[in-house]
Amino acid sequence: MLGIFGPMLFGDYASQNLSNGHKPIGTDGAFFGTDGLGRNLAARATFGIRISLLVAIAVTALAVVIGTLIGLIAGYVRGPVDNVISLIIDFIWGFPLILVAVLAAASIGSGLLPVILAVALVNTVAIARVVRGEVLGISEKEFVIAAQAGGYSTIRILTRHVAPNVIPVALVLSSYYIAVAIIAEAALSFVGMGAQPPLPSLGQMVSEGRNYMRLNHWESTIPGVIIFFMVLSVSLIGDGLRDLLDPRLRTELDRESPQ
Amino acid sequence: MKAVLKTTILMLILLLASSLAVFAAIRLSGGDVTAARLPASASAADRDLFRRQMGLDQPILRQYITYLGDLLRGDLGNSLTNNASISDLAVQKIKNSAILGGMSLLLVFGVGVPLGMVASLKRNSFLDTGITSFSVAGMAVPNFWLALISIHIFATTLGWLPSAGQGGFKYLILPSVVLAAEGIALTVRMTRSAMIENLNQDFVRTLRAAGLSERRIYFKHVLRNSLLPIISLAGLRIGQIVGYALVVETIFGWPGVGQVLVNGVLRRDYPVVQFFSLLLVFVVTMGNLAASIGYTLANPRLRK
Repeated sequence: MLGIFGPMLFGDYASQNLSNGHKPIGTDGAFFGTDGLGRNLAARATFGIRISLLVAIAVTALAVVIGTLIGLIAGYVRGPVDNVISLIIDFIWGFPLILVAVLAAASIGSGLLPVILAVALVNTVAIARVVRGEVLGISEKEFVIAAQAGGYSTIRILTRHVAPNVIPVALVLSSYYIAVAIIAEAALSFVGMGAQPPLPSLGQMVSEGRNYMRLNHWESTIPGVIIFFMVLSVSLIGDGLRDLLDPRLRTELDRESPQ
Repeated sequence: MKAVLKTTILMLILLLASSLAVFAAIRLSGGDVTAARLPASASAADRDLFRRQMGLDQPILRQYITYLGDLLRGDLGNSLTNNASISDLAVQKIKNSAILGGMSLLLVFGVGVPLGMVASLKRNSFLDTGITSFSVAGMAVPNFWLALISIHIFATTLGWLPSAGQGGFKYLILPSVVLAAEGIALTVRMTRSAMIENLNQDFVRTLRAAGLSERRIYFKHVLRNSLLPIISLAGLRIGQIVGYALVVETIFGWPGVGQVLVNGVLRRDYPVVQFFSLLLVFVVTMGNLAASIGYTLANPRLRK
């Protein structure tokens, strides 16, 4: 697996940094051409990538922290606390991110905020769900029971013994949720509920270019291709991370058999 | 079975609670509902009168109960933008969305499972690599972009298929394929790895030792074991399709629930948003419930 994805992973990662990383706006002239209003597409795309990544990565990172905490508590404490948390998790989990974001937009109005809220909610729940499952398994293990018998405090057991074992899982999963968040942000901006003009966003650029498909299809295709590569590189990084951190880890998405 | 029943009841309670939350959120939103219906020149008194006529001055819980009552009697109110009856609107839109969603679901399993099987049979071959990379790409392609490209290629350039709207079967092809794309990719991936995992199990070796033909082992035993968890999770694919339908229907001008909801949100047409968002919350919850029940039934170990 690493043999196949390794080179691709590092290649994509570099190119992603290149386009994201502070390329001075407009130095290449109009590298990707300009849109209907004469705005530089490369510059707009660069900015759009930043917004996408900001929403997807920053919010998912927050979701990983909160989700892991919730999962740890639910999985370790058990009892009624766990029952309530699991029920809510089971209910929200499975709700498509786009629907949640549209509902959020319906109540607080269009913009980046509903997208951020939706990403935060859905991803926190998803991470908490998996972490809880892991914790349930780990807290039965001998080393945890030994620590309990040794009279260590619950907080110490959780932070020193349980958490280190579940954090890699949460990290690997987060790459998948970042990918989903990037797509959802783009899709919402595309239908006009995400980032509002003049703030550029890739989805919105695809949508604006749509009217000129016959004339100059690049206005739509370039931001689309960028989204594609962003999502692809994020998921490949996730695959690489998984191989690195825990070769035996199987997610629901990829039940690859260990050979 | 008892656990299933308990989950069902709890889910229904949560459904009611979440629908109340959605309902309240729409009511409490900062946006002015009168802006959608009344002219900009309307006086503050007129706006107050309008709110009172719509029952918007009542406490939210009361409004919610009134609304549920109306819902049961089939009276869903009228759209704020064109005054159309929402019940009439709903029948038509639900039918259209069901056609599109059903077709996509059919494609997800009808195309995804066979491709995943082929890939697992011809493991590490050229064909396998092709199918696998295609499915990795399929999960990374944003579907609204796929929609635009397919319109550009098949409608604008080649002129084979209509780009938007609704009519015969021809109109259904592009939107349903685009809507199904990610689900197909996911199903291919899940089928392939489940098949490979099962092929490595001890029971396969036993069956081989017992002299069963490869074909029989493959189709009868391995396939059945692999497909159960995948099919039982079909409910989750429904949720996914509902989410993407919001975008895909808008692009293809498919007159379904997703398009109505998106337009309703953009125009702040709250009675429309209210009904259709509650409807989708309901559909997704039912999908999740079906998936969790299906998964429990398919895994004897989880049955208690």
